[in-house]
Amino acid sequence: MLLKILNDWFKSSNKVERLWLLAKIEFKLRYYENKLGLLWALIKPLMDIVIYYVVFQIIMQQNVPAFASYLFIGLILWNFFVESTTGTIQILNTKKYLYEYSNMNKMEIYVSTLLSNSIGFFFNFMMFLIFYNFFEKESTGLSVQNFWILAIFLNLFILSLGMSLILSTIYIIAKDITQVWMVFISFLFFLSPIFYKLSTFQQRLPHFDYGNPMAGIIINARSVMMEQMPPDFQLMGFDYAYATILLLLGIIFLNRLGSKAAEKL
Amino acid sequence: MKTETAIIAKDISKTFHISEDSHNTVKHRLFNLFNPPKRKDIPALKLTSLEIQRGECIGLIGRNGCGKTTLTKVLAGVYPTDTGYIKINGSTMLMNLGVGMSHELTARENIYVSGSVLGLKIKEVDKLFDEIVEFAEIRNFVDTKVKFFSSGMMARLAFSIAVKAGADIMFLDEIFSVGDMKFREKAVKIFESSWIQGKTVILVSHGMEVIKKYCNRSAFMKNGEIDFFGDTEKAIELYTADNQ
Repeated sequence: MLLKILNDWFKSSNKVERLWLLAKIEFKLRYYENKLGLLWALIKPLMDIVIYYVVFQIIMQQNVPAFASYLFIGLILWNFFVESTTGTIQILNTKKYLYEYSNMNKMEIYVSTLLSNSIGFFFNFMMFLIFYNFFEKESTGLSVQNFWILAIFLNLFILSLGMSLILSTIYIIAKDITQVWMVFISFLFFLSPIFYKLSTFQQRLPHFDYGNPMAGIIINARSVMMEQMPPDFQLMGFDYAYATILLLLGIIFLNRLGSKAAEKL
Repeated sequence: MKTETAIIAKDISKTFHISEDSHNTVKHRLFNLFNPPKRKDIPALKLTSLEIQRGECIGLIGRNGCGKTTLTKVLAGVYPTDTGYIKINGSTMLMNLGVGMSHELTARENIYVSGSVLGLKIKEVDKLFDEIVEFAEIRNFVDTKVKFFSSGMMARLAFSIAVKAGADIMFLDEIFSVGDMKFREKAVKIFESSWIQGKTVILVSHGMEVIKKYCNRSAFMKNGEIDFFGDTEKAIELYTADNQ
């Protein structure tokens, strides 16, 4: 019964098609406009990895096993979060042409942009898999636990969508949210276990992996991708709770502030 | 045939709050916590109720600054209303000269995006694509970014998308001034032959002949209020008197 309703809805509505169309165009705009094209999407995390590897493994000698892969998975998750939040603060301004002349639902604009970021993430993740399985000397190979990454990514998607909704609707009434968020996110970057040894991180900042929603996502992603372990379910529960609360808040913000976008921006 | 309502608006109104400083920032808000900026309220639309049936062609006339554009934007669901409620049955599209296109996208992409926003499936846009391009006379510029288009080309493209793809409820703001004489003739022809039937149209114009020709009901607006809503002849009379 439910399936039939859903099926009918899919057939009669063009929503799914539209989301995909907008996501594809967004992706193309971002990567095919410059000379190096899609290569940028792949080069950027590699460059970051080289920098952090030199600093934390060679200069500071942290001695984390498989450090390049450790950085790789952490950075691509983090970059998705940054692109989907910092990158979308002005979304109601840049995508004004979509809602200024029609009664299109604004939520579709957000979801399609995040879908476009997800395509980028997918390419990066494929690179990670190739790197980890073929080039990493200390690799433990593939395992069934790897599939947990889907749940972890969904968590990240909801979290980013929520934050994106909140930030971009605040932008309507306070333009300098961009600067405020920049400071906040660089703080959060250093408070996430992206390049620190996990044990040091947990020792120095006890319980902070429960306070920072990105920390749990990165820790769990490493467990399932590199340690062949299931995720820490308690941590995952916390992170899903954070993401859901932020998404609900974001929806409230969109209804309250977002509806004024056409006249204020 | 059963008539259905396309738009029901009950007690809607819209006031714009314009503050003297245009910069809305956190810093500014914090520093001026006890010294709020002077605000000016502009009642662009005073309490109004109206009902529009599906398939009707409604004229909207009035002098500049009387609230025509605000009313169309509120009715199209682009602006939220301050009071009352609006029920819109179907997709809406507001059309004036530089309509809903991204300058960063090519004509092809814009056709697909607009078509999709107007509720068409990709396959349906595929079928309409050539018609739209031919009608807009931009065959050689299909894969050119719209930002390189001349304003005439842009307006023609927008018009063609609207004509061929069209939303359920169309708000047309002075559209008969698009393009050269040849294009205008073509536009009027298609407007008369196919478009006006079946679609709900709200026509905003200062050209009384156009209003008289197509609309059976019209609204005359004055100072943010609908002064009269009904017979077109009467509305035009009032408008002419107001212009004296």
